[in-house]
Amino acid sequence: MQSGLDIAGVQRPAGTLEAGTALLPYERALDARLAAHLLRRAGFGGTPDDIRRLTGMAAGEAVESLVRFPSTSALSAPQDVYDPASLLSQYGFGALRSLTADARRQLLMQVRRDEVRSILSLQLWWLDRMLATAAPLQEKMAFFLHGHFTTAAIQKGVSPAMVYAQNQLFRQYALGNLRDLTRAVSKDAAMLLYLDNATNVASHPNENYARELMELFTLGVDHYTEDDVRESARAWTGWRVQRFTGQTFFAAQLHDNGSKLFLGKSGNFDGDAIVNLIFEQAQCARFFAGKLLSLFVYDDPEPELLDGVAGLLRRHDYELAPVVSAILRSNVFYSPRAYRALVKSPVEFVVGTYKTLGVEQIDRSALPALRAMGQILFYPPNVAGWPDGENWLTSQMMIARQNFLAGLVNAQVMGASSWLGEIPMDPAQATHALVTTLLQDDASPASYAQLKAYLSGEGTSALAMLGAENFQERIHGAAYLTMAMPAYQLA
Amino acid sequence: MKRGNFLVGALSGITVVANADHIFARALAATPLPGLPGGENRCLVLVNLQGGNDGLNCIVPHGNADYYRVRPSLAIPQSQVLAIDAQLGFNPNMTSFKAMYDKGMVAVVQGIGYPNPDHSHFRSTEIWQTAAPDRYEHTGWIGRYLDDAGLPQDNLFNGVSLAPILPEVMVGTKIDVPAIASEAAYGLAVDRNATTRQAFASLVHDERLPFSSPYLPHVMEIEDRSQRGSEELPRLIAGYTTNASYPATALGRSLALAAQIVGSNIGTKVIYVQHGSFDTHVNQVAVQNRLLGEFSDAMKAFYDDLAAHGNDRRVLTMTFSEFGRRIEENGSRGTDHGEASPLFLIGGGTKGGTYGTAPDLSSTSMGNIRFTTDFRSVYATVLERWLGRPSQHVLNGTFDQIALL
Repeated sequence: MQSGLDIAGVQRPAGTLEAGTALLPYERALDARLAAHLLRRAGFGGTPDDIRRLTGMAAGEAVESLVRFPSTSALSAPQDVYDPASLLSQYGFGALRSLTADARRQLLMQVRRDEVRSILSLQLWWLDRMLATAAPLQEKMAFFLHGHFTTAAIQKGVSPAMVYAQNQLFRQYALGNLRDLTRAVSKDAAMLLYLDNATNVASHPNENYARELMELFTLGVDHYTEDDVRESARAWTGWRVQRFTGQTFFAAQLHDNGSKLFLGKSGNFDGDAIVNLIFEQAQCARFFAGKLLSLFVYDDPEPELLDGVAGLLRRHDYELAPVVSAILRSNVFYSPRAYRALVKSPVEFVVGTYKTLGVEQIDRSALPALRAMGQILFYPPNVAGWPDGENWLTSQMMIARQNFLAGLVNAQVMGASSWLGEIPMDPAQATHALVTTLLQDDASPASYAQLKAYLSGEGTSALAMLGAENFQERIHGAAYLTMAMPAYQLA
Repeated sequence: MKRGNFLVGALSGITVVANADHIFARALAATPLPGLPGGENRCLVLVNLQGGNDGLNCIVPHGNADYYRVRPSLAIPQSQVLAIDAQLGFNPNMTSFKAMYDKGMVAVVQGIGYPNPDHSHFRSTEIWQTAAPDRYEHTGWIGRYLDDAGLPQDNLFNGVSLAPILPEVMVGTKIDVPAIASEAAYGLAVDRNATTRQAFASLVHDERLPFSSPYLPHVMEIEDRSQRGSEELPRLIAGYTTNASYPATALGRSLALAAQIVGSNIGTKVIYVQHGSFDTHVNQVAVQNRLLGEFSDAMKAFYDDLAAHGNDRRVLTMTFSEFGRRIEENGSRGTDHGEASPLFLIGGGTKGGTYGTAPDLSSTSMGNIRFTTDFRSVYATVLERWLGRPSQHVLNGTFDQIALL
């Protein structure tokens, strides 16, 4: 095998899990590296001030400050949430029906334009919220749940208003009960439309939601049979979404009231009963344990670790707050094996960059950059949600990440708020400031020296010595090169 | 594709065993195998029809009354079918492709699938891409082919994915396949300045970092390859002039770039492109007909372009899709996940015609079309007769070949 190139296979960190103590609380105070680690995992990274605030705190206290998050009601609501219900107040059902084919086509095109504009505005709103919120863990969980209980906008009748309602649902349940959330999201308008459960009726069951509920949302492949899929689909029949208003309702006459045999139990189950039966499966707790460990700790966790977190989920009856809190306080979370063991997703990469540079508002150019990196909010690529781990690191996506960084350090938004302007005009001090703040010193002596040489203009005829006239340009170039280092790709 | 998640759960143990077996198999196969005849200058283009292409409305059994009975709102009217014979015909939007078929450039292979079919997009896609229905495998069948074909390790473009993602089919252990969304997107801003270009090149190889990470070697490798690859590719393919009018679709753009890569003779053996989504649970006809029309028009332009440069005999195209769809339509004028479906082989030395067994709509597998030809038979045919490589190691078994090449 060529050195370092193994893009297939296990991504568990090297070394051995200390299974006996892995999930016990980490008793020490956080240094700056671990404070930054906690902020990357429990949110979207920290500003230099955030990191300073948590440094020196006991791990338990720092986690408490993130889990018991403050009210976020003061954060602004999105400005442009397009709701097709507005068509009804504008036209009324009758008038809509009597439109000529041409007028209807015109109207449809207008609606599509309004929807696209609205989704772009919602994307920026959410990115800004991730950046500004005092409750980063709430947004991190909402972001995770968006990728987990996937729904994509502007297809199958999923309107921006529905997408926003679902986004609020994820925020409401960010650290709530997983079973309650699964029941709620199953009846959410966007989900009913996206996975076709709104057209699932007793006379013609549609299995799409029934299958993905088990395969992708709660159990994983190989933990149910094809018969379970068919029987669950029957149990979910009858849920509908009203056109235009997006109101959901249960049409009893379209529901299959027969007995269903599901996961070994039989009865006249409805959707809620299906979710309850799924959550009784030991595999369900293991499935979510794996998801939470991959979100917070590392990919491909050991069976012992999986069992430990699954046990916590069952003991707390699938309440997220105590389980997430236990994971973020644990020894394994602060162990060297978990440190930088995850690949930043594009959204973490982009929002984290704004945060670490101290830029206070997301620039519109973040949207095409995220598209090129492969992550468009409210448009997951398919029902399995976003890629993860090494799948974020193709050559094309890496180029998009690098070009985003290069664009941002030279962008106008960098001007006022960033701390880059306060860096001392001394190559050694500037190098130290950049590597410490942007990388928590996760660079080798050789890279450190390389950066210092770039800043001072040593060893190359192409660069002038550092001076007042080229200082800003050089600092921005050096900030880019610092973030181009491998550690910056890792959470 | 979510390999990471896939490993989570009860599979961790199995994974390790499968991996150990694989390493052993690799050690045995390390001796270079003599190339079989052919293979020189040939390229294979894989077109992934993502989402599960409905076979019955693609290759339409218009002579079968059962088809019209089970698909009251979805069946393609007999008058619209582009008939091959009294029984079969193409979807009405595939006129360009039908013309290629009539010229003998297209083989239609019906009834393709595998034993114990999986109805999950992700597992079934993985099965098709790893060629391993009965075990969990981390490398793709093309990845294993590229690893073992004795290709020059310093060529960055032995295989190319014309998508932002690297599909599992191209994943190997020795050869890294670049993902290229478009030529315009494949370039580093930092390369525009000689000093930052040089600094980047040295910073991405950081040998003595104060932490370790399972992803660190991959990050460094990809940063390095992104830079070298994006610097080399434009130079390598600059001399080519496109000589066909491609449709302005994503597939059209991908295939135009594929023709350029083939025509530039940079040693590329396999190119991956994707098209979709064919996951037509709702209102199938409009969506699938549009997608098949786009496929048909892009494929025509691709082979026109190849032929204009004398490359059409060098390029074999193969389509695949993770499954076909349920025979009976659902209540949403769509179809749910099914089993067997047809695939196409196009160009190269393909002997045009229909192969395999037409779907039997009366004897089904829980309402799905039973497979009659194992997909690995097609892979074996392509490996042995087109790429000129033994198939047994790549496919972990011996499969009957089909006399279509």
